Parts: sequence; C-alpha cells; structure tokens
Amino acid sequence: MTSWNLLRILLVTTMAGSTLTGCNIARLTINTPLTPQHVAFITEGRTTLAEVVNVLGAPDSMAEAESGTTVVYRFLNAKYSRVNFGWLVKPWSPVDPDLVMSRSGFGADAFELICDANWVIIHQGFVRHRPEPLFTPYPF
Amino acid sequence: MRLTGVLLGVILLTLNACAFSRGTLGDEIKTETIHSIKKGITTRAEVFGQLGAPDRILQLNGRDLFQYYRYDAKVGSLLLILVNFSRISVKSDDLFVLINREGTVEEVIASNRTQGLEFRFWPFGD
Repeated sequence: MTSWNLLRILLVTTMAGSTLTGCNIARLTINTPLTPQHVAFITEGRTTLAEVVNVLGAPDSMAEAESGTTVVYRFLNAKYSRVNFGWLVKPWSPVDPDLVMSRSGFGADAFELICDANWVIIHQGFVRHRPEPLFTPYPF
Repeated sequence: MRLTGVLLGVILLTLNACAFSRGTLGDEIKTETIHSIKKGITTRAEVFGQLGAPDRILQLNGRDLFQYYRYDAKVGSLLLILVNFSRISVKSDDLFVLINREGTVEEVIASNRTQGLEFRFWPFGD
C-alpha cells in the first residue's frame, strides 16, 4: 500500500466520521424491561405470586388493595441521541458554532398484578402500552 | 493485513477515552441471611436483628410488610472524538418479609437481580 492510498483511507475514514460529528448516543435501563412475552405464563385465577417471583424476581413494591394485594414491577428503558452539526464547520470557523438536535424517549412502564388473599393472581396488566423509544435525534 | 493495521490505528487515534462508574444505594442483602429467615419460626425481632430496620414498612391487610432494598448502577462510556456511546444499567435487589399478627414471618419474597449486572457501553440491543 502506497502512502497515497494510506492517506486516502485516512481521509475517507475521517470524512465518514465527520458526518457523525458531535454525536452522543446514551441509554438508561432500570430493571429488565418486561414485554407481554415475558408475562405470557401468568394465568389469572391460577398462577400464584410465588410462581411469578420465581420467573420475574421480587417486585419493586407491594401495597394493600381492597381485593387483596397489589404487586408492581417497574422498569425504564430511556434512550437519548444528540447530533451537533456545528462540528462540521469547526475546522474552518474562527468561532465554536453549535447546531444541536437531540431527542429523549422515556420508556417508563410498570407491570401490575393483583393477588387475592391466597396469593393467586386475579388481575394483571401493563400500565402503559407505548412502543419502545427509538434513537432518533430529529426533534420535530 | 496492512489495511487492518491502518484501521486499527484510526480507531486508536479516534479513541479519546473510556469511562466506568458505579453507584450503590443501600446495604447488600446476603443470600444466607435470606435463607436464615424461616416461615412460621423467625420472629419480628429476629428479622430486625439480622437485617436491621427495614427501608419501608407497609400495612398489608392487618399485617406488617417489611421491605429491604439495594440498588446498583453501572455506567460504561466509550468516548470517541466524533461520537460517544454510553449506557447506564440500574438493577435492584428487593426483599419483602411479611409478618403475621402473631409476630412471626408469614412470607418471604426475595430476588437478587444485581448479581448479573455488567458494565456496558453499547446502547443498542437488549
């Protein structure tokens, strides 16, 4: 490989990288995000809390309900992406310009169960039914 | 071979920094302590003696529910010159001890989610 080819590879790589200038991609997950597939084994009126705990682990909170006990599994799957287009002109500009686009998506949800006095699940459901957030910095 | 070397060099040149951070909240809930709590035998005072005061006390149909928790957060970042990847993973260990009206343990619900928690920087995928 000649030095010219090496220079070309470096230039192409840098140019390709320049299109991503000032990019930040971050993700925050709290507990394991649950899906309907994760909880498909639960049958209302048959499955007990002990069986649920065996599969999903201990819940995040428990509270008294009129018909028994409410059990809640909380989780969060937040995504953040940011692009600073100002970086494109940084090498040629005497100032430090910024043109930032960013967007966050908070995929906060909870899975709630209601148990009767014998710890049998009588109701279950997700609090929200929103699709998973995407990494899209376009805010409009 | 040489191309691989060049690409490796470019990656090394653009690799600005890596960062690892960790934060915990609460005391570790030991597995042997959980196993030592026996339903119908262990008393409220013994639970206090082994685990200390609970983080939360709730009333559950006339019975006391003690909740102990511990949070573990691990942050991994790959900071390149042009693009940064970060991932924050938080998981909790929770222990619920239900005390009946006679003052003995009726139910123990526990899990150790933090055991498999890893440092990750790649934000995509599961």
